[in-house]
Amino acid sequence: MVNWVPPEWEDREMLAELGIGSVEDLFRDIPKKARMGRIGLKPSMEEPALVDLVRGILSKNRPVSGFDSFLGGGVYTRYTPAVVDGLLQRSEYYTSYTPYQPEASQGTLQAMFEFQSLWVELSNLEVANASLYDGATALAEGVLMALRLHPGKRVLVPGSLNWERRSVIENYSHGAGVELVDIPWDPTTGLLDIDFIAREARKDVAAVVVEIPDSFGLLDARLPSLKSTLGEVPLVVYADPMSLSLLEPPGSWGADIVAGEGQGFGLPLSYGGPHLGLLAARLSAVRQLPGRLVGVTQDADGRRAFTLTLGTREQHIRRSRATSNVCTNHSLMALAFLAYATAMGPRGLRRLAEAQHATVGSLVTALQGTRHLQVPRFKTPYLFDVAIGVEGATVDQFLSAMLERKIFAGVPLDDPRPVAPHPRLNAFLATAGPEIDAKAIARYASAARAFGGA
Amino acid sequence: MAFHQARWDEPLLWEIRTPIESKVDPIQGIPEPLLRKTPFRWPEPTELELSRHFTRLSQMNFSIETGIYPLGSCTMKYNPRVGEVLARDLSMTAAHPAQPVSTVQGTLEMLYRLEEALGKITGLPNVSLQPAAGAHGEFTGLLVARAYFHKKGDPRTEVILPETAHGTNPASSSMAGFAPREIPSKDGCVDLRALSDAISPRTAVFMLTNPNTAGLFEEEVLEIADRVHAQGALLYYDGANMNAILGKTNPGKMGFDIAHLNLHKTFSTPHGGGGPGAAALCVTDALTGFLPVPRLVKEGRKFRWSYDHPDSIGKVRSFYGNVGMDLRAFAFIMAHGEDGLRRVSERSVLNSNYLAHRLGKLLPRPFKPLVKHEFLLSGLPLRERGLRTLDLAKRLLDEGVHAPTVYFPSLVEESLMVEPPETESKYSLDAYYSAMERSIKDTDENIHAAPRRLAVGRVDEVAAAKNLRLSWRDLRRTP
Ligand SMILES: Cc1ncc(COP(=O)(O)O)c(C=O)c1O
Repeated sequence: MVNWVPPEWEDREMLAELGIGSVEDLFRDIPKKARMGRIGLKPSMEEPALVDLVRGILSKNRPVSGFDSFLGGGVYTRYTPAVVDGLLQRSEYYTSYTPYQPEASQGTLQAMFEFQSLWVELSNLEVANASLYDGATALAEGVLMALRLHPGKRVLVPGSLNWERRSVIENYSHGAGVELVDIPWDPTTGLLDIDFIAREARKDVAAVVVEIPDSFGLLDARLPSLKSTLGEVPLVVYADPMSLSLLEPPGSWGADIVAGEGQGFGLPLSYGGPHLGLLAARLSAVRQLPGRLVGVTQDADGRRAFTLTLGTREQHIRRSRATSNVCTNHSLMALAFLAYATAMGPRGLRRLAEAQHATVGSLVTALQGTRHLQVPRFKTPYLFDVAIGVEGATVDQFLSAMLERKIFAGVPLDDPRPVAPHPRLNAFLATAGPEIDAKAIARYASAARAFGGA
Repeated sequence: MAFHQARWDEPLLWEIRTPIESKVDPIQGIPEPLLRKTPFRWPEPTELELSRHFTRLSQMNFSIETGIYPLGSCTMKYNPRVGEVLARDLSMTAAHPAQPVSTVQGTLEMLYRLEEALGKITGLPNVSLQPAAGAHGEFTGLLVARAYFHKKGDPRTEVILPETAHGTNPASSSMAGFAPREIPSKDGCVDLRALSDAISPRTAVFMLTNPNTAGLFEEEVLEIADRVHAQGALLYYDGANMNAILGKTNPGKMGFDIAHLNLHKTFSTPHGGGGPGAAALCVTDALTGFLPVPRLVKEGRKFRWSYDHPDSIGKVRSFYGNVGMDLRAFAFIMAHGEDGLRRVSERSVLNSNYLAHRLGKLLPRPFKPLVKHEFLLSGLPLRERGLRTLDLAKRLLDEGVHAPTVYFPSLVEESLMVEPPETESKYSLDAYYSAMERSIKDTDENIHAAPRRLAVGRVDEVAAAKNLRLSWRDLRRTP
C-alpha cells in the first residue's frame, strides 16, 4: 500500500479525542438505504507495482519515434526547451491553487500578469485573461462575450470552421439563444464569401467569426480590411499564436476579440489535453471578459503587488449572471506558454514559424503530380498546414496506406459523425514541423506515389 | 516556528532585459498585406535569467508541498509524485490527438479502465472524460439534460439549486439555457418544503452536492430524489465533494441521474496554480445516448472512438479530455484500490471532525456537529474587536499555513470553510489548531497589520479594480 495517508494508529488518538468508538460512527448520517457494498475495484498496490501496471498499459502505445508525423491542424509537435518543464515541475507552482489569497501567491500572480501581457503583445489587443480550457472553448467564450457587447440573433461563422470548434460554439450559445450561420466558401480558393459577410452584417448579426490561418490552413489576405465592412458588429478572430510572430496581429486590423489555442507554445501534445485557451479583447469590454484576471496594485507599504481583480464578473460573486461559469482554468499551461515564449524570444519564435512554413512548402513541392492527391487542395497561400484532397479513394484509405509505411500522413478535415451537417471534402491537413527533414519528406512522397487508390 | 516567505522584489520579465523588437522580412508564400508590421516586443533573457526569475517567483507561492492548504471545497490533498513521472511518459506526451487509434491502444485502455472505475465509484456506469473541469462538467451534464428533455418533446426551462450551491452551478445553468432558481436552506441543508414549493413541470434539474458546501450530509437525499423524480425532473450531483463518501455511498445509490467528478479534487491531480483540472461526467443508462462524442468503445480487445451517436450533444471542447490529468487520476485510483479509496474518505472525514472539534473551541460552528470532509466556522465573534474573517485569514498566512475558504457559502456570516484532506497527519492538524489559536489570540493591531512575513504585505484589492492595470501595456501608460 502506498504511503499517502497517515497511519491508522493516529486515528485512534483522534477518535479518543472525539469520544467515539470507530470511524464508522462518522458516517451514521448516511441513510442505510443509500449505503453501498464493495466498489468493485482491485486491492491497493505498492508504488513499484503501480508503475509496472501503468507503464505496461502505456507500452501498448506504439512509440511515436518510430513514425514520421505530419500531424498538425492546430496542434503541433515542437521541441520544448528543457528549462520549461523544469520550471513546471516546481511544486510551488503545480501544487498550489487559484491565488485567492494574493499575499501568499505572488509567484503565480506575477507569472499570470506576465502571461496576460504576452498575449496582449502578440495579439495586439488590450486585455487578456489568465487562460481558459482550450482554443475551442476560448473561441466559444469569445463569441458569448461578443453577444454581450452587441445585440443580434445570429452569429456568422466560417462554413469551413473545424467541426469540433463549431460544435463547441453551438453548445455554448444555447443559453444565449442565437443561431449560427455558415459563411459560404469558394470551392476553388477555400476562402470565405466576404460580400456575404458584409451583406449579412447589416442585418441582425451579433458577431462575425473568422480564423487566421483558417481551418483549411489558409491565409486570407482580405481579412485586414474586413472590419471596415462590419460597422458596430464585433469581429471575433481565432488565431494561431505562433502565426502571430509573422502575421499582422488581429488587434491591428480591428478585431474586437482574439481567441487561440496555446498548445504550440511549449505544451506537450498529451493526446489532446490539457492544452490552453487564449482570449484577449478591447479594454472597453473588460467587464464582459470571462475568467480570471490579474492586475497590479500595491501592498500596505506601497510596494508593487499583484492580485486577482474584477471578480464581480465571475461565478463566485455574480452567480447566474456571471460572464462565464469558468472557475478552474489552465493556469499551469499558461505558465508553460509564457516560459516557452520567453525562452524562444521573438526571434526564435519567428525563425521557427518561418521554418515550419517553408518545410510545408517543400512537402507540397515533393508531392506535386502525385496520382490520387490534389496538392494543394486550394489555390490559396497556406501557413503551417496544407490541405490535400484525395481522389479515387477515401482519406481513410490513403491515411491507412501511409500508416503501413510508418507515416502519420495527416489530419482528416471531415466531420467523423455519420450524420454530419456539411458536405464531405475528402481532404486532410498535413504539416511539416521542425523534426521533419528532407529524408522524411522524400519518404512521404514515395509512399504517396506508391498508393494505388481504392 | 517562525515562518518567513522569500521576498524578492522580483522585476517583471521586461524589467530584467530590454525587450527585443522582432522585424519580419518578406516571406515567400505569405501575402504581403498579412505580414506583421506591428512590432512584437518581448525580452530574450538568458536561460539562467529565465530560470532564476521563475524560481524566485515560485518561492513566493504557498503550495501543498510547502504547507497545509485546507481550502474548503477544493480538496488540496497531496499529489503523489509518481503521477508526474508517469504522465511524462513519452508515449503520452508525444501522442497527437489525430494519431490512428491503432497506435494509441495503451492510452485508450487507460482511459477505458478509468471510465470503468469511475462508473463503479459513482454507481453511474456511463462516463465521458471530455469536460476540462468541474464547471465544464456541470455545463456538459446540463446540456445532456437539455437534450434529453428535447428528445422527449418536453423542453423544460428551470434548474433548481440550494442557495448554498457553488457559484458555478447557477452560472452553468444559465449558460446551458436554463433559468436557475435558488431555494433557501434549513439548518444548512435542503429545506424539503422549499423544494416542493419550487419544483414544477417546468423543472428540468435539481442540482445538489452531498455532502453539501457546509460540509453536511444531506440525510434526506432519498426523499429529495423521490420528489424530484415524481415531477419528471432529473437529479444532478456536483461531485466536488465526493472525497467524503468513497465506498460509503455513491450518487447512483442516492438516486442521482447525472454526476460530475472533479478529478483534480478527489482523485488528486495537481491544481496547477488554478488549473488544469479534469472532470468526468457520469450518467444513468437512460441518458447515455446524449453524452458528448466521441465515446470510447471496446471491441474484443481493441479500443476505438465512436462517433455514431445521433442523440449526442456533440462537443464541449476539442478532442477527448485532459488526458494527461486523467492518467494521474487513474494512477491514484489504482494505487489506492478498493480499500485504499474507502480509507481516503474515512480519514478525510476523521480529519475534518477532529479539526472541527478542536477549532470549535476557538470559534463558533453553525449547524449539526457531525460533518463530513469539511466544516464551517464563523468569524463573527471577531467583530467585537473590529476584526473580520478576512483579517484572521491574513494573520493565519503569517503562520506558514494557508487560510481556509472565506465568505463561502454565504449562508453563514463571516464564514471560514476548512477542508483538511486525508493526506494531512494529526501532527499537521494540531499545528493548524495552534496556528489558529495564536492568530486569534494575537493583538488586534497585529492582526490588522497581517500579513507581515510574506513576499508582500496586505494587498490593496480595491485599488487594483479602481486603477486597472492588467498588462505591461497598461503599465507603460500608467506606471
Ligand atoms: C462545490 C463545487 N462545485 C463546483 C466547483 C467547480 O469546479 P471547477 O473549479 O473544477 O470548475 C467547485 C470548485 O471550486 C466546487 O467546490
